Parts: sequence; C-alpha cells; structure tokens
Amino acid sequence: MAQKPKIRELLDESACAHNKNKKSACNAPTPGATTGGCAFEGAQISLFPYADAAHLVHGPMTCVGASWETRLTHTSRPGRDLTQMGFTTGISTNDVVFGGEEKLRQAIDYIVEHYAPEAVFVYSTCVTAMIGDDIDAVCRQAEQTHGIPMVPVHAPGFVGSKNLGSRLAGEAVLTHLIGTREPKNTTPFDINLIGEYNVTGDMWQYTPLLEELGIRVLSTLSGDGRVANIRTAHRANLNVLVCAKSLISLPRKMQERYDIPFISVSFYGKRDTNASILAIATALGNADLIERAKKLIAREEDKLDKKLAPYRKVFQGKKAVLNTGGNKSWSIASALQDLGFEVVATSVKKATEADKEKARATLGEKGILMTNPGQEQAKIIDEIGAHLLLAGGRSLFTAIKKRIAFADVNQEKKKSYGGYGGLLNLAEDLKNALQNPVFNNVARRAPWEK
Amino acid sequence: MGEITRRPTKPLQVNPFRLSQPMGAALAFLGIDRCMPLMHGGMGCTSFTKVFLTRHFCEPIAIQTTAVTDVTAVLDGGDGSIVEAVANITKKVTPSLIGLHSTGLTETKGDDLRGVATQVDYPLVYVHSTDYEGGLESGWGKTTKALIEQLVEPTTATRTDKVVLLPHVSLTPIEVEKIKEFIALFGFEVHALPDLSTSLDGHLGEKQSALSNGGISVEAIKELADAALVISVGASMQPSAAALLKKNSGIRHRHCAHLQGLEATDQLVATLLEASGHEKPPASVIRWRKRLQDAMLDSHFSLGQTRVLLIGEPDFLAGAGQVLSEAGAKITLAVATVDSPQLDAIPADKVMVGDLEDAEAHQANYDLIVGNYHTEALAHRCGKSLVLRGYPNWEMVGNQLKNDLLYEGGAYFLCEVANAAETMRAAPH
Repeated sequence: MAQKPKIRELLDESACAHNKNKKSACNAPTPGATTGGCAFEGAQISLFPYADAAHLVHGPMTCVGASWETRLTHTSRPGRDLTQMGFTTGISTNDVVFGGEEKLRQAIDYIVEHYAPEAVFVYSTCVTAMIGDDIDAVCRQAEQTHGIPMVPVHAPGFVGSKNLGSRLAGEAVLTHLIGTREPKNTTPFDINLIGEYNVTGDMWQYTPLLEELGIRVLSTLSGDGRVANIRTAHRANLNVLVCAKSLISLPRKMQERYDIPFISVSFYGKRDTNASILAIATALGNADLIERAKKLIAREEDKLDKKLAPYRKVFQGKKAVLNTGGNKSWSIASALQDLGFEVVATSVKKATEADKEKARATLGEKGILMTNPGQEQAKIIDEIGAHLLLAGGRSLFTAIKKRIAFADVNQEKKKSYGGYGGLLNLAEDLKNALQNPVFNNVARRAPWEK
Repeated sequence: MGEITRRPTKPLQVNPFRLSQPMGAALAFLGIDRCMPLMHGGMGCTSFTKVFLTRHFCEPIAIQTTAVTDVTAVLDGGDGSIVEAVANITKKVTPSLIGLHSTGLTETKGDDLRGVATQVDYPLVYVHSTDYEGGLESGWGKTTKALIEQLVEPTTATRTDKVVLLPHVSLTPIEVEKIKEFIALFGFEVHALPDLSTSLDGHLGEKQSALSNGGISVEAIKELADAALVISVGASMQPSAAALLKKNSGIRHRHCAHLQGLEATDQLVATLLEASGHEKPPASVIRWRKRLQDAMLDSHFSLGQTRVLLIGEPDFLAGAGQVLSEAGAKITLAVATVDSPQLDAIPADKVMVGDLEDAEAHQANYDLIVGNYHTEALAHRCGKSLVLRGYPNWEMVGNQLKNDLLYEGGAYFLCEVANAAETMRAAPH
C-alpha cells in the first residue's frame, strides 16, 4: 500500500497556478449536474498509447467495453498495436463475492503467453478497488514470474476526474518504470515528451523538425511510446510537457528527483508551434541550436505561408465565434487567427484563471469572453455578424437558425490539426465548412409551414 | 442447430464486444419522451455511455450521473447522491420521468434503489442493472420490465384495435418504425415500448433538448394495459410481456424470436391477419413479399458460397442468422455477447459466448463478418468482407436508418451482404 499515490497530495499540485487561490482543490463532482470522464479514463488516455504494452483493465464490462478502440493514437511499432486492443478481466458476480485476484493473475499469465508484451499495465476500477483486490501484490508476483514490468495503476473512476487519473497514471510510471533502465547512449539534446499522445499522428507533425535540429526524443508519455524508452527517461536533459496540465506533477517530481528542468508547450497553430520549437531549443541552452531553430522556424513559416495563401483569401474578413472549453478556448482561437479569421468571441465558461488570461490576450481588447455561451452566442452572431460557429453538437441548431457555417470542435478528429502541417488540415476543413451550402439548405422552410 | 458453448473458459476477455447492462438501461430510457436517464455510479460510467451513444447516433444524448465518489461510496447508502442528483436535475429541466439505473459500483455497495425511490418526490422508475452481469440486451429488457411494473396501470378493459410492441435492443430506430407501420397496416394503433423510432431516429429538432427528444410518452405507458395484443420481439423481451399480462389477464401475447426473413415475417402476418380478421394483407405487403423472394433468389448464388461469422447480441444473431441461411449462406460461427435461451435458435454450425479473440481463432472458417465496429480491424487483419451491424458503429453515419426487417428490410439486407461478399471475392488477393 505504501506505493499507492496520495490522492490528496496530487490534487494540491503546487505547480498548478489555480491552487494558490482555491481552498479545496479540484472539487468533487455534483450529482445530477456533472459531465466529463472519470479517473480511469484519464489513466487510460495517458497510458494506452504505449502500443508495446498490454493494458489490462481489472473491472466489469463498462470500463473498457465501452471505451477500447476509441482514440486514434498512432504508433510506428511494427507488429500488433496493443493500444487498439481491449483486455479486461470482465469480472462477474462470483468475483465480486470471492475476490478477483486469482482471475487477474491468470489473465496476466494468459496475456504474456499469447501476446508477449514489453510490460503489462494493470488498472484497478471502482468495483475491484471496493472489493479490495490487492493488485500491487499480484503485479509484484507476476513481475517475478515473467521478468517484465507489471505496472499497477491505481486510478479507479470514483476517485476523481480524468485530470486526476492522468496524474495517477504519471505517478505509476514514475514509481514503476522511470529510472529502471539505462539508455544505450545519451546526447546533450535528449528530451522527454510528456502528455503528447500522438492522437491522429499530431506528434509526427513536429518530431521530424526536432530531429532535424539534432534534438532526440528519448522517451514519450506516451505518444508512439515504448516501455523500454520511458524506463530511461531519467537521463533526459529536458522534460517537455505538451498541452497537458494534468500531467504537471510528473515533470515537477522529476525535476526534484533527477534535476531535469521542464517547460510547457503547445503545437496548435503556427505561432504556438514556432514558440514551442524555440522554447525547447532555448531550454536546452545551446546558442548554435537556438540559431538553427530560428532558421528552421523561418523556413517552415515561409513554406506554410505559401500553402496558406489561397486559404487566407477565403478567410479574409470572416468572423468566427468559438464555443469550447479549457485550453481550446485560446489555442483554437490562436490557430484561427493564424488562418486569417477574426475571432470575435470565445467561451471561458469552464476555463481556469490562466486560460481566461490567455483567451483575453489572444482575442484582444475587443474580443468577447462568453461566460454563458449557450445564451450569448446567438446574440453575438446577430450583433456582430459572424460567418462561422465552432462549437459542440448542441449548438448546431444555433448555426442553422442563423444560417451560418458550423464546425463541430468536439467531433472525434480523424486527421491531425497539430504543428504546421495540421494547420493546413484545419484550413481545408474550415474552408469546406464555410463553402458548404448545407447549413443554408437545411434551414429551408417546409412547403406546409407559413 | 450446432454446438453451443454458453460459458467462456478464459480468465479474461480480449477485444470484448459485450456491452454493459447500465448502457442498455440508459438506451431504453432514451426511448421515452422527455426522460432523463440517471445512472447511479461513478461519473465515468455515464461519460463512457454518453460518448459511446453520441458517436453511434451522431446525436446529443441526454443522461446524468449520481457521480458517486470514493467517499460517498463508503459513507452514503445511495440515498444522498440520488436525492441530490434529482434535485439538481429538476432545478434546470422538467423531465417527464427520471430513469434511475444502477451500475457495478453501486450494486457492490448494495444500494437499495427501491427504498431511495420512496424518498424522491418526483416521477421515477428504478432498475437494478449491474455491469458485472448480463449485457446491453438484458439491461434494455430489465428496464422495459421495470417500466411496465412501475408505471402501467392495471385494467380489465381491452381495446381490440390496440397493439403493444416490445422490441429488443438491437432493432434500430427505423426498424421499430417499420414494425409499427407494418402492424398499423392491419388496422391497429401501435405503441412501442421503448420507442427509439421517434427519439433517436436522427431528426432535426427545433431546439436541442437536454432531455430525450421523442419516444413513447409516460401517459401512453400508463395506459398500455388496455391493449388487446402484445407482440414481443426477441427472447430478452419475454419477461416484459409477462409483466404486462399481469396488468391485464385479457391481453393476448404473441412472441416472435425475431422478425427477419421470409418465415418469421410470414408468421407475423398470419398473427396479424388472425387478430385483425382481415383476409389478405394490404397490397404493399404482398408486393414486398414478392420482392424479398426475388432478392433471395438473386442473392442465393453468392450467399450459397459464403461462410459467415455473426457477432452480436443473441436476439440479433437469431434474426440475422435466419434471413441469411434462408438464402443459403452458411453461418459457420455465431459469437454472442451473453448467454440467452435464444442461442438455441441461432442457425449456425457453432454458437459461443465469447469475444473477438475467439472469433479470430476461427478465422479459417468464414469469409464474411456481420458485426459491430470492433470487427473492422479483425476483417482487415484477416482479409474478410464486412457488413457493419450492431452497437457500436462509429465508422458510418446513418445507423438509425438501417432496416433489415420484415419482407422489405430482408430484401435490402440480403442484397447488401451478397454485394459485400462479391466485392471481396473480386478484390485482388
């Protein structure tokens, strides 16, 4: 039990800006008025991209039965992509009554025998946490039997949000994997990418550029990740936290334990990508590297601008209203501006203080920060005359009523919007949305309506 | 019938396609007009279900959670979080009904839903739907039964023109509508319970409601017991039919194992002719029967050389297996999510309760797969043709509009499967 992370401590993350002025950090959800995923989902999001490891969910069917093969996290691993497989003990009434440890042990043996993974992550869930299955002990024994890492992940859904689950996942990796192996060689420019999951291949939009600069991605948590590499993560020169505040505890602790500095970056939009590449080079502290990074950025920016020119003509003078949450409230706004849109309003309904500040900085003085977007967006479209509404599916009817184009920001994305290349994908999709007559067509009155 | 394996022998599921009972319960409540399904469990149970169904239907899904935490799991017997959830929901919206259903978490705790229900001063139906037993189909079936037991008012009167339809979970919204219309052609007023045909049929509403938008009304459910005839479709709906008969012993019950293919549709027509006193069905029904016969002949050459793997809920397997085998397809393997009496009725060489790893182990024995989204990777890896059916289908739009039932849908389905088989045979290897 000593190895189990202390949840309270993880909730009071000292590196979180908002914890300075909040009494109870990351509050409990309200019954009947809650949306969003659980801690298990957060752990799953953070760790499943290790495609060379099996991810065994010790719980009933809902946990993985409804959620496997849902995220397009790509891997370059040859052979079977274990990320896109579902493994679960699928516990039954019998297991609830008599305990599920024996079943778990047998399940691990089965997986090792049939799929030869580099490691097995074992996730506890609400039910198996409640019945008190000791997954630590099962993992310890299995590790001795099979000689590969067995990582217990203590993120049962009911301990909190997705965000907390990601932290618990980071904690499991820190306790059981990081520092358990030495790299073959090291370079002065070794980095870890933390919180980059390579959804739709986002990471591959920029890692070739880093490699071109001589920056080596030593390990990732966990996009296109390998267990063998994350075990060597303690030898990196820099931790790069990508667009994921949820994992901030991990680099902070690695700084304390291994003296590795960390920076927080985002690769969404041109300006963010520019700034992030430069920030990584700067943090690695080599003058020559910084110079080369600047040149590379200039080159890529030039290349991108040429490709974006025809789109900018389409987007010139177009106004967009953005209704989404969290860091998307400013990161998508920034990308839209890169494309030539004027972002007239963005939602800060659930944004943190830091997100609100960034949203204000991105939109400028005139920009509207909506605190109740459901009510406000229709009025803003009327008054300011927007051309495009980017929002969740529930707002579709607002766009149709106002006869403007709509893009679903929450839609499970199938292609990458990350880095320079991703901005072109975004441009193409938004151009198609703006030029699509469907929103106008479906708003046609039926012949029997007066 | 072939060999049947009812219990999996492995200590785990690999690439599972069994879905949970609470999800089936939530879906059933979504077939009731202006209902708010309330899942009693961790917020993740609800979130996974909401995202799953949103992606399948491409529609917003109304559902709320009691958001049980590690602390309330220990300190609260369920009453606290349920009462608070109902208060918070009704602060913002006015549902016609709250559909309270439990999960593995709260069943492990042993929460007394019935006791809590008496503390809630709001229309509410409760159902125990743990996810460590049963599956989507039983969650839907249990909820239908609970709706009947807790809402329907007993009566002794019957209306001879009124029919209650109890459709199993694997029937799409449009299929439910097609059955209703089919029965209505014989002069009946038809009420389906649950009724997804007007809620999750994918219609553009005037505004996006926070509650289920369409479906059978609570008022109509209360008055179901004066029907002259109840038709249950699928073994999972038998207990619901029995529950309805308890409300009025004068109701006649006809059970259909499924409504796919010539024989099953003929039987339904015979039932409806008898019940209505009509001598012949309407002309359109007669015409569609001829079209199905023709489609069976047109597709038999291809299907006769096709070995099929079926994946899905037991009630679905029975129907799909029947219509395909009527045209000569060989169902070499049917893998079911859970055990059911229906497994005996599946016309396959081998029937088993299992997962997609089991299906993959038998890959030498089939050419074509009929199954859900998760079978796509299997089809791709093993070079099989694929016809996507069942929950979830995140790959295609228009799931709610797929009709494989009765004479008409059977004709479409046979052509689609035969064409998929031929496309694969024509592809370079």
